[in-house]
Amino acid sequence: MNNSRGQDQETPVVAGFEVPRSPDASYNNVYTASEDDGRDPPVVPQHLQHTVLSYPANRGPAAPLPDPQHVVLNHLYIENREAPRSVVALGFSHRFRAKYVNVVLYKPVQRRGSNSA
Amino acid sequence: MIPRFPVSKTPGISGESMEIDGDPFHHSEAVPKILEADVELSRHRISVFLSTHTAYELLPESGKVVALDVTLPVKQAFHILYEQGISVAPLWDHDVSRFVGILSPLDFILILRELGSHGSDMAEEELETHAISAWKEGKLQLTRKFDGNGSLHPRRLIDAGPHDSLKDVALKLLQNKVATVPIITHDGSVPQLLHLASLTGVLKCICRHFKHSPASLPILQQPICSIPLGTWVPKIGESNGRPFAMLRPNASLSDALSLLVQAEVSAVPIVDDNDSLLDIYCRSDITALAKDRAYAQIHLNELSIHQALQLTQEASATYGFFNGQRCHMCLRSDPLHKVMDRLAIPGVRRLVIVEAGSKRVEGIISLTDLFRFLLG
Repeated sequence: MNNSRGQDQETPVVAGFEVPRSPDASYNNVYTASEDDGRDPPVVPQHLQHTVLSYPANRGPAAPLPDPQHVVLNHLYIENREAPRSVVALGFSHRFRAKYVNVVLYKPVQRRGSNSA
Repeated sequence: MIPRFPVSKTPGISGESMEIDGDPFHHSEAVPKILEADVELSRHRISVFLSTHTAYELLPESGKVVALDVTLPVKQAFHILYEQGISVAPLWDHDVSRFVGILSPLDFILILRELGSHGSDMAEEELETHAISAWKEGKLQLTRKFDGNGSLHPRRLIDAGPHDSLKDVALKLLQNKVATVPIITHDGSVPQLLHLASLTGVLKCICRHFKHSPASLPILQQPICSIPLGTWVPKIGESNGRPFAMLRPNASLSDALSLLVQAEVSAVPIVDDNDSLLDIYCRSDITALAKDRAYAQIHLNELSIHQALQLTQEASATYGFFNGQRCHMCLRSDPLHKVMDRLAIPGVRRLVIVEAGSKRVEGIISLTDLFRFLLG
């Protein structure tokens, strides 16, 4: 498609040698991806459910936070709270040298239709 | 300066700014002498230990840290700290991609006091729209500090790196008079928060290290009344150093908050009419006011300390947090190592020195007092 336009602009057209238009039938292909749209997206791997992020930060010395499993490291999690909510919690677990750090950040939720600050 | 003889009843001692009153020392019981050489040796050994270990040791094997976006309204921040059972959180600014400060209980106390003076009808609405960043800006205006040239000093985030020595971390905490310093690594493209360090963690490292060789720190065996450490209640007739702040349970919460702000102490012992210890009200107890939005419904001067303490107890019961014992005590005859072990318990920032049996308050030793003494 672009080629024909390009030809028009860059190269001089010689009479009798214009590129013919593609037949209209060739543009009538049915959009074939609709079957894929009907299917659900792939399921989240089950092992990602074993996150340590929902444990409270303050459990006391008798109950230290368990180590996160290596499969959940460096995945971003969002807190599962019912809407409407004004605050959302995002968290991820990562490794720093030989120790694990589980970080949770609380952010305000932008309301729809409001101007972003 | 360390005296050669114990000064068990001199008030207002903390760290090195000690005054020896002119009267001859009164001891009703024999107290062992503290040797200057012992103190120097212990200080030296602790200093060497702290200089040769890094902040990385403070991190637990698996730790959770909570941070707040600086554009969050103050009200949500209050509730989050309450629900998570934490008292401080670092503040993340998305626009500049770094941590810019810390939200601490003192901020909430100041906010509630300021709103209280405007009437509590506005309280909740203001808290809902007031972002943390706006509050910090306003606070800067209130407590502006000028340096020698008269220019303004904005408060920058006091943080430390994981490879900084424990000594640097402790000095940062003491010199900046903060309870918490975030440990942040700048290795990657974005600063990463690793841990919130406090003197408790540093003390735990010290105790763990010297646990098996108590003889290497000779002053550990000394009773605390023989060491110039902590703030003591002045006896009648003696000249006061610092006045010792205590309150009755029926005093109003606003009195307690005024003390916490103006006297620059982090906790006030609550005593009965005989000065016996009942409980203690700390700055971090302010987050319990988020329970059922108590802060919006009651004037601070209508709430008694007793009621405020009940809210704190209900809070820890609801969320199942480890609260342990609220008041940690010790006797004047307890050896220093016992005091250090107790102060190393997470959440304990001060011990109240009480008289055996009657539980009359004799003084307070805080983590800050201890470290100022140990680091000289």
